[in-house]
Amino acid sequence: MKIENSSKDMSKSDDFSASTNKNRQSSPNLKEISSRFIDPSPDMDKRDFIKKVLNGAIAGSLFLVFPMSTPGGGNFEKNSTLKDGVSTFDPTIELPEEIPGIRDQNYDIHKHNFAFIVDITRCIGCGSCCVADKREYNVPDGNYRTWVERYVKDFDDQVYVDCPNGGLDGYQKPRDDIPIGTRDTFFVPKLCNMCKEAPCVQVCPVGATFLSPDGFVLVDSDRCVGCAYCIQACPYSVRFIHPVTKTVEKCTWCYHRVRRGLLPACVEVCPTGARKFGSLNDENSEVYKILKGPGVLTVLKQSMGTLPALYYMGQRLEVV
Amino acid sequence: MVLKHSVRIILVVLSVVVMAGVGLVVKAQLIPKSFGLYGPYRADAIDEEGQRVLRHGTNGSCFRCHQYEATIHLKGEHKTISCEFCHGTYSDHVSNGRKMANLPVKKGTEITTLCLRCHNTEIKARSTMVIKTVGMPDHLKKQNVKLTHTCNQCHHVHAPLKYINEAKKITGLMEKRP
Repeated sequence: MKIENSSKDMSKSDDFSASTNKNRQSSPNLKEISSRFIDPSPDMDKRDFIKKVLNGAIAGSLFLVFPMSTPGGGNFEKNSTLKDGVSTFDPTIELPEEIPGIRDQNYDIHKHNFAFIVDITRCIGCGSCCVADKREYNVPDGNYRTWVERYVKDFDDQVYVDCPNGGLDGYQKPRDDIPIGTRDTFFVPKLCNMCKEAPCVQVCPVGATFLSPDGFVLVDSDRCVGCAYCIQACPYSVRFIHPVTKTVEKCTWCYHRVRRGLLPACVEVCPTGARKFGSLNDENSEVYKILKGPGVLTVLKQSMGTLPALYYMGQRLEVV
Repeated sequence: MVLKHSVRIILVVLSVVVMAGVGLVVKAQLIPKSFGLYGPYRADAIDEEGQRVLRHGTNGSCFRCHQYEATIHLKGEHKTISCEFCHGTYSDHVSNGRKMANLPVKKGTEITTLCLRCHNTEIKARSTMVIKTVGMPDHLKKQNVKLTHTCNQCHHVHAPLKYINEAKKITGLMEKRP
C-alpha cells in the first residue's frame, strides 16, 4: 500500500493564511519618528487648526451618510429582528433547528447520545466538507480536522491512496501514474471516530482530553500542555498541534453546533448525504433508522478495540 | 529528657499539620473548580467548547432573506447543495441579525471549475446513482455549442435543468436519452 500526500496550492478564494505581524511592529517606530519631526516645527498651531477643521468636516459628513445606510435595503429589513434600532440576536429564528430535542429543554448531558454515519457509496469527493470545516474553525494550512481520501485499486489488487491538500481543492484530475487499468475508485471521508474507549484519553497526562458524558471526545485547550502523546496514541490520526496555540486540536463533530441544535458543518454542506448525523434519542432521525435497520455498518480498525461511534456504510476491505 | 521528648513529638505533629495544611491549600488553588464533576477532567471545558462562535449557518437561515433565490433553489436538482459552500460563510455576511458585508458571487470560468468539482466524469469514482457527470469538452461538442461556453450559459446554477425544461416546454421537443 502506498500513501502519498502531495501538497497543492490552495485556490485563491479560500486563502486562510495567517496574517503577518510585520505591520504592527513597524507602526510605533513610524509614530515616534513623525512626532519628533513635527514637534519642533513653528507652524504647530496652524496645523492643529487645519486638522481640527478637517476632522470636523469628515465627522459632519459621516453624520449625513450614516442614517441613510443603516436601515438596510431590499427584503432584508422585513425579516430582521430589529426593535427600536437595537439589534436583538435571536438564534432560534436565524438558525432553524435541525436536531430536535436539544433546544426545547435543559440539556441533560447524561441523557444524550449521538451517532455519525459516513456512506462511502454516496461520497463523490467534492471536498465541500473539508472546505466547510476549514472555514468553521479557521484550521491552519497543512492541518486537517477532516479530510477525504481517494482509493484507487488496479487489476493487480495494488491499492493507491492519495489525498492532495486534504481534499480541500476537490478531486479535479484522475490519477495518471497507475500503469495497469484501474478496477475501482472510491472516496473515504475521515474524521474523529469519537471512540468510547479512546486511546487518546487514556494517555493524556494532564486530563486535557476526555470523553464527555454525551459521547464526545473533546480537548480542554486550557489544560493541554502540547506533549503530543495523544497524537501518537490516536489510531486514526485525527489530531494535530495547532501551530499558533501549540495545543492539540481535533474534530469535535462540531460540538458547538450540536449544542445549539444544528448539524455539524460538514454534514450541513454535504450535497449527497454521504455524511449523516443525528441524535439516537430521536426515533425519527435518519441515523436512528439506519442503526436500527438491517444494513451492514462497520467501523475503522475494529481490532483496536476502540469502540468508535463513527460508522461507515459500504465500507471496503482496502480502507484502513 | 522526658519533657524534651514530648516537645519533640509536638514539633513533629505540628510540622505535619502545617505541611498538610499548606498542601491542601495549594491543591485547592491548583485544581479547577469543576474538575472531577463527570470524571478526571475540567467539566467546564465541555460548556466552553459548546459556546464556540458559529461561522456557518444553515440554508434555512439564508432563505429567510433571500426568498426569491429560495424558490428557485428548492425546486431544482441542486436543493441539497449548501449556499455557504459557493458563496462563503454566514458569519461573514450577517452579524447580530444584520447584513455587514457582501459575499462574493462566482463568475465565468470560476463557475465551470466549481461545477466540475462534482460533475467530472474523468474521476471515475462517482456513482451514477448519486450524481450526473459530464466529460468536459465532449459535453460541449455534443450540445453543439462553443468550447468557450461556461456551464451557467445553459444551466441555471441553482436549478440546473430550469432553462432546459422551460425550453423543452416551449418547443415541444423531447430529448432522446440513450
